[in-house]
Amino acid sequence: MKLGSGWWTRLVIIVLVTLFSFWFLVPTYYSLFVLERKDRNKLEALEKVLPWWAPPARYRLSLGLDLQGGVYMIMRVDTQTALMKRTDRRSVQISTLLKEKKLEEVLVESKPEQRQIRLTAKDTSMAASAEKALLAAFEDFEVALREGESFTLQLKGTEAKRFETEALEQALLVVRQRIDKWGVAEVDLRKLGTDSIQVSLPGHDNPEQARDLIGKTAQLEFILVDEERPDFFAKLYNENPPAPELGIELGPGAGMAATLIAKESQAILDYVEGKIPEDRVVLLECEVAQTGPELPEASKASASCSRYLAYLLEKTVSMTGDSLASADVVQGERGRIVVSLSFDAQGTKEFAELTTQHKGRRLAIVLDGNVYSAPVLMVAITDGRAQISNDRDMRPQEQQFADAKMLALVLKTGAMPAPVSVGESRQVGASLGDELIKKGSLAAVVGLLLVVLFMAIYYKVTGLVANVALMLNGLLILAGLAIFGATLTLPGIAGFVLTLGMAVDANVLINERIREELDGGNVARVAVDKGYDRAFWTIFDSHITTLFAAAILFTTGTGPIRGFAATLIIGMSASLFTAIVVTRLITTYLVHGRGAKTVSI
Amino acid sequence: MRIFKHKTNISFLKYQRTALFSSALACIAVLVGIAVFGFNFGVDFSGGTLVEVQFSEAVLDQSIREAGTQGGLADFQVQSIGAREDNTFLLRVGGTTQLTDAHAKQVEAALRQQAEVKSFYADLGNGLINLRTAEKINSAAVSQAANTSEVAVKEVRELGESPNGGFDYQVVFSGMAEKVQVALRAGMADKKFEIRRVDYVGPQVGKQLRNKGIAALIYATLSIIVYVAFRFDFKFGPGALVSMVHDVLVTAGYYLVTQREFNLTAIAALLTVVGYSINDTIVIYDRIREEMVRFKGKSFAEIVNLSINATLSRTILTSGVTALSLIGLLIFGVGEIFDFAMAMLVGIFVATYSSIFVASPVTLWCEKYWGKDKKTATG
Repeated sequence: MKLGSGWWTRLVIIVLVTLFSFWFLVPTYYSLFVLERKDRNKLEALEKVLPWWAPPARYRLSLGLDLQGGVYMIMRVDTQTALMKRTDRRSVQISTLLKEKKLEEVLVESKPEQRQIRLTAKDTSMAASAEKALLAAFEDFEVALREGESFTLQLKGTEAKRFETEALEQALLVVRQRIDKWGVAEVDLRKLGTDSIQVSLPGHDNPEQARDLIGKTAQLEFILVDEERPDFFAKLYNENPPAPELGIELGPGAGMAATLIAKESQAILDYVEGKIPEDRVVLLECEVAQTGPELPEASKASASCSRYLAYLLEKTVSMTGDSLASADVVQGERGRIVVSLSFDAQGTKEFAELTTQHKGRRLAIVLDGNVYSAPVLMVAITDGRAQISNDRDMRPQEQQFADAKMLALVLKTGAMPAPVSVGESRQVGASLGDELIKKGSLAAVVGLLLVVLFMAIYYKVTGLVANVALMLNGLLILAGLAIFGATLTLPGIAGFVLTLGMAVDANVLINERIREELDGGNVARVAVDKGYDRAFWTIFDSHITTLFAAAILFTTGTGPIRGFAATLIIGMSASLFTAIVVTRLITTYLVHGRGAKTVSI
Repeated sequence: MRIFKHKTNISFLKYQRTALFSSALACIAVLVGIAVFGFNFGVDFSGGTLVEVQFSEAVLDQSIREAGTQGGLADFQVQSIGAREDNTFLLRVGGTTQLTDAHAKQVEAALRQQAEVKSFYADLGNGLINLRTAEKINSAAVSQAANTSEVAVKEVRELGESPNGGFDYQVVFSGMAEKVQVALRAGMADKKFEIRRVDYVGPQVGKQLRNKGIAALIYATLSIIVYVAFRFDFKFGPGALVSMVHDVLVTAGYYLVTQREFNLTAIAALLTVVGYSINDTIVIYDRIREEMVRFKGKSFAEIVNLSINATLSRTILTSGVTALSLIGLLIFGVGEIFDFAMAMLVGIFVATYSSIFVASPVTLWCEKYWGKDKKTATG
């Protein structure tokens, strides 16, 4: 009897899938066995060594932090506390405003836990006028309750939500900045849910440093730029050229003057050390690589610096960000994008003084020691409301907008910082990682060999067929993990072995069924067909239920456990294909194609 | 090659009472055990710090314990992991930083003697103290005051003058891992060691992870039950549910009896057992459904018994093969991976047993109950 055309189609599909899987494992092979260990996590380095026909470098199975050593942290942003602080702050501002409006007899009582402010007036008309004035001035609050001459203001729900997302962005910004300072090459920062940030630092082994990330709240400062020495950096560069290996260049700065530019922040700091006037300080601006408008602005806060620009600033801080009340991106005249900021009463006084005295100078906006912008003080600002714009900016609107948003975020971080804490931190030394890889692979090999041997002995030829499917399943799992850019973790290795052990169950079910059909007096050909048909739904159902458990584990699990769940999911799905389609193809060839009268089972 | 040379005809249902009774007893024992002794929760769930230390020579756990107690470590636990010649230990300490409530109070009292403290806030979770004094004071003095407790101060930061008057300082305390290191160095001066792994989990996160883990188990069980009830018949649901709960409980019993660390990996093991437990049950259920069509005249009890016998060899084989794959992990796995493999092994065997002795009888009872129900309903 001949093999049908369906058989040939299936054969072609299986061969293609196999080749495709091997192809997708090429980047993984190169990253683990060709690349030097220190470059293992660098995509660019991998991209360079990959042959032209290989898939992109991002499709690679990387090693989890538990296998290569490193720090994994989950930082939690405490928006609750930040919202309480905001409510308290508003209550102070409300008192000031009421005084201005000659309504100081209204009693202000802050209830930060409920994000409420209760106001009690002498009579109802006073309450009404106070309410009107306050609602006009503070748009983020609404009236929650009115009782006679008292009423309660509450932070709007939408505002709280917006604040939460902003707080997460702010925290991301601060955490990224501080990690940048450690000089760690590969950092993976990711938002987790609505209030957490996941930080992965492969190869890093100082968890105590993690505390620096949360140590102090980010400090926003306004510092005047030195205008007396416009050619300071140019002179320094020409008179005392930096060593070429530092990679420092002279280039146009944010203003007219030339400045130092380098890829490494430490290079500039080392170079200028001891060469700066006593009362001056050099701080750096981090320039993020052009991300293009299609990227969400969120990625901007977590993107790493592509190069650093030096600023020569006064040592004394002109103003701190505490007195900043709000900052936002708005559309100014003629559709220009501007960042508008406003100060509280104390800040308005200080800012007026600053802008009057230093009109025409540049004022650097510095967060945590990093310069973000240095706008020129065009006019004296006495009402506490300022606008920052960039007239010469000729870039597309989207990019201008993204930059403005970033600056507003920086300003807000100083005005209303949200405390960050380390929720979880896991650190594995590199030596332990190496040992775990060795032991893990050994365990996998031993487990699989036992299964393969058992199948071959117990089911003979059909057992060998099942083993072919098992190998292919293993290949598919690895390729699948690579396609999803997943990480291989120690629980993942355990999952790999267990999945293969469970996948082979499908062949046990099929083979037992075929034996039963043979016992029932069927000839080989019929027994094989019936066996596969009847076992199918049992296998399908049992795979689906395991997939349920794995999917739930994947969605709730973190870190290494997710690696386990991913392996289980891919393995179970692949097993439906290998255990049923692949083995049937081979068995069909044995009994139909070669016309065998018996099955070796 | 075959396990059973001939078709078996064992009357499994004869043992159903004994089996159900002992299973129920085992489940109750585990539940009581959880209530009375409780799991040995790992830092994943209880919060705290886990440090893995490897010594270069043989060391007794007793001497590590003594060194820890002398070093003032609270809730200190030592567990040897891996082979004896690895000299590797897992040390568990409560808390993630060295700052406790009592310490914070001591520090505050000491500071008040030196300067007028306008505000004082201790962030225990992060090991930080923020304080504001009326006058500018020396940071060395702050450090000295903070060191009155045996807590190690890592750094005192001067945050400058506050716009609202006063001067701000921040005291940063070292993490627990450092304290463990110091305690071991002091208590076991002659031994060399290497810190290989450090896990911190904050108490809040620990609680969250535990709740998530329990929720995951419940969701997984429910979703599988719904699937089974729809794919088969509603009367099959309870049997599957009871056997799944049974398997999870008995597997959890492994962690309870051995007092091995119950952590996220343990939850992963339990969830996998849930997914696996139903597999054997489905094999039998499928057969029952098939036989019901084939033998319309036979009683349900007979069909169930017939189906168990018909699928007996594959039930044993599938479990056996999966168990085989775990052997490598049992030999080379260390710590939680060993526990994972061991728990899975327990789960696989219990699942095989329960598919025959728990799920099938319960399904039989459901049929009896619902069958009667239908009769009374139709009159």
